[in-house]
Amino acid sequence: MRKYWFGLATLFTLITLITGSGVFAATYDLTIDEMRAGYNRGQRLTMAINGQIPGPTLRFTEGEDVTINVTNKMDTDTSLHWHGILLPFTQDGVPGISFSGIKPGETFTYNFKIKQAGTYWYHSHSGLQEQEGMYGPIIITPAKREPYKYDRDYVVMLSDWSDEKAEAILGHLKKNSDYYNYAQRTAGTFFKDVSENGLAATLKDRAAWGQMRMTPTDISDVSGYTFLINGKSAEQNWTGLFKPGERVRLRLINGSAMSYFDVRIPGLKMTVVQADGNNVQPVLVDELRIAVAETYDVIVQPEEEKPFTIFAESLDRTGYARATLAPKAGMSGEIPALRPRPQLSMADMGMEMGGMDMAGMEHGAAAGADKAGREEKTSMPGMDHGAMAGMEGMDHSAMPGMDMAAMDMPGMQSGIAPKAAKPGGKVLVYGDLKAMRPYAQYRAPDREIEMKLTGNMQRYFWSIDGVKFSDAEPVRLKYGERVRFTFVNQTMMSHPMHLHGMWMQLDTGKKKFNPLKHVVNVPPGQTLSVDVPADAMGEWAFHCHLLLHMATGMMRKVIVEGPVAANVETGHE
Amino acid sequence: MNPIFFPLAALIGAAISGLPAPAFASAGHDYPFGEPGKPASATRTIEVNLADNYYEPDAISVKAGETVRFVLKNSGEFLHEFSIDTLAEHAEHRKEMVEMMEMGMLTPTGIDPEKMKMDHSKMDMSGMDHSKMDMGDTKKSKDMPMRHDDPNTVMLAPGETRGMVWKFTKAMEIEFACNMPGHYESGMLGRIDFAK
Repeated sequence: MRKYWFGLATLFTLITLITGSGVFAATYDLTIDEMRAGYNRGQRLTMAINGQIPGPTLRFTEGEDVTINVTNKMDTDTSLHWHGILLPFTQDGVPGISFSGIKPGETFTYNFKIKQAGTYWYHSHSGLQEQEGMYGPIIITPAKREPYKYDRDYVVMLSDWSDEKAEAILGHLKKNSDYYNYAQRTAGTFFKDVSENGLAATLKDRAAWGQMRMTPTDISDVSGYTFLINGKSAEQNWTGLFKPGERVRLRLINGSAMSYFDVRIPGLKMTVVQADGNNVQPVLVDELRIAVAETYDVIVQPEEEKPFTIFAESLDRTGYARATLAPKAGMSGEIPALRPRPQLSMADMGMEMGGMDMAGMEHGAAAGADKAGREEKTSMPGMDHGAMAGMEGMDHSAMPGMDMAAMDMPGMQSGIAPKAAKPGGKVLVYGDLKAMRPYAQYRAPDREIEMKLTGNMQRYFWSIDGVKFSDAEPVRLKYGERVRFTFVNQTMMSHPMHLHGMWMQLDTGKKKFNPLKHVVNVPPGQTLSVDVPADAMGEWAFHCHLLLHMATGMMRKVIVEGPVAANVETGHE
Repeated sequence: MNPIFFPLAALIGAAISGLPAPAFASAGHDYPFGEPGKPASATRTIEVNLADNYYEPDAISVKAGETVRFVLKNSGEFLHEFSIDTLAEHAEHRKEMVEMMEMGMLTPTGIDPEKMKMDHSKMDMSGMDHSKMDMGDTKKSKDMPMRHDDPNTVMLAPGETRGMVWKFTKAMEIEFACNMPGHYESGMLGRIDFAK
């Protein structure tokens, strides 16, 4: 308690009421105002929480009753949403769903009990404010001992800063969806492809991409960001100190509006111990891809007395965020070169695989295809395990035109699946994530809802089943039922799908050890399923966490309503 | 509690031979910091709880020349190890454990006795992933599957209680550790301090 008190008193006005047996309550005051900030060519007017970007780290304790007063000093409505936190829906902070927002000059008081532990974050859920700088970390100390130990504990919050206001970015995309696609294929690449693949194949390939109204460089739609770690640019170099031999816990949070990152620390293995706030059985990796709004906690143990670079390349390779773990302040390690921008392959889209006669497939691939039965998957030397992320739970029969065997062929590998920079290195895939504790009430879902992730790049709107949020009916769940959501990504972009108020149990075939997530990344052309125990009454948001995708319609309201079904789940054993 | 003080080899030894473990395993391995102790020489007992994934206590103090009886209880849901060694030897052992996991001998919750009792000299290697095994390194392929016969190491299945008697002979930087993949890295280790 003592440590807790002093740690927070510097940040917040804190009223602590001890109510016996370790149960307590605390009050936090947050103020939202406009502020000038900038990283490149001077500063611009933006929005911040308590005058800082990111906002202050909120430190809660499992079991605590929190009261958060949020005062709006701007002349526009605002809100704060507690991302990944289980709470009454009226406290969830989504204007139009949970409440009506916080009006200019008003203070809204949030009240909820903390029922979980781990690393989370919070952000504005009003319009495009999040990208302006309205995000911050949440750390919840567990009631019981954690299943790991460490000597130091740092938040590593990734974000993307733009010199343009988010509304301006959306305006450019609405006029021309390729506005930020600096790496589009040109006549030059067309002739290069002709010489490598043959004219017919190249024409067919171009025609296929054209039909999808997308281009293979469409892996992200906005560029020109400056990438930050804990509010510091790569030049400003946020630094965390260590003594050689110490274990350092890094709480990676992707608070970006639009940017995925491939994160690695050259010279150090990362032991992943938590995903989206939930403990997982530890897994050692060299690299991991963090989708927008995901969190991963990793433990590293630098033994040498030298600086180590935390290197986070944006998925589109337009830049990187960088920070340093160092024995002394002011040190900096080597910064690796950016790798080439990943290019989507037709394999990523799972399209026309049967009928394709691309030259690249005919050469040497046929032999592999003959015996590339699924049972041989594990022994195929050419197999890209990274490309199989999240596939274990798939219903293969449900995927039109998708030929699993063909995925293994040289030249038909995913262009987008993460690959380790280190030769032979290990990249985290969803299949590696196993819950530390089994989910006691695990059972087969009562029903399945399929959601096609759809979009129209040319007109720049994003949707689910082809319908924008503004035109869609809510999804209705019965309290206590268990519903499987199967996401079928029919677009060329990855979509980090986020459900408020309830966990998604990502189906990786581990059943009761399937990991609990608040965000799941659905790569282009892929399908994955999550099981949702509908254990929280009320109205909740369900959306793609790419800010502009949500804003243009890739979102639904989910209503959990009575009567109460028979099998009410209570969570972990 | 009625702990069975199998001196060591127990888990794997029993699985391989089907016979009771020998009174003293002799792995032909010398340790610069100590040796298997005689139960009669033990002057005190230290109970260690192996949880998922940490030890309670996670630091102990011993004297050079002292023989300690450890009572080890795995209260977790996963397979755990209690191994006393130098940091460098633990690091080597972790590489072996990763290989054993990849070969299916070990799972997070147990040992596969069928895979474990394979005689590697006679094994049909055709089904194995050669890239993961350095077949030129005969020392490794001979030593690896037998590593858990070593007297400084006890492996415990979930719920299991075992004993281990160890004589600490010389003050050195050593740790007790669980080298199951990911466990040590995330903090399943304990300090051994030598009192003057």
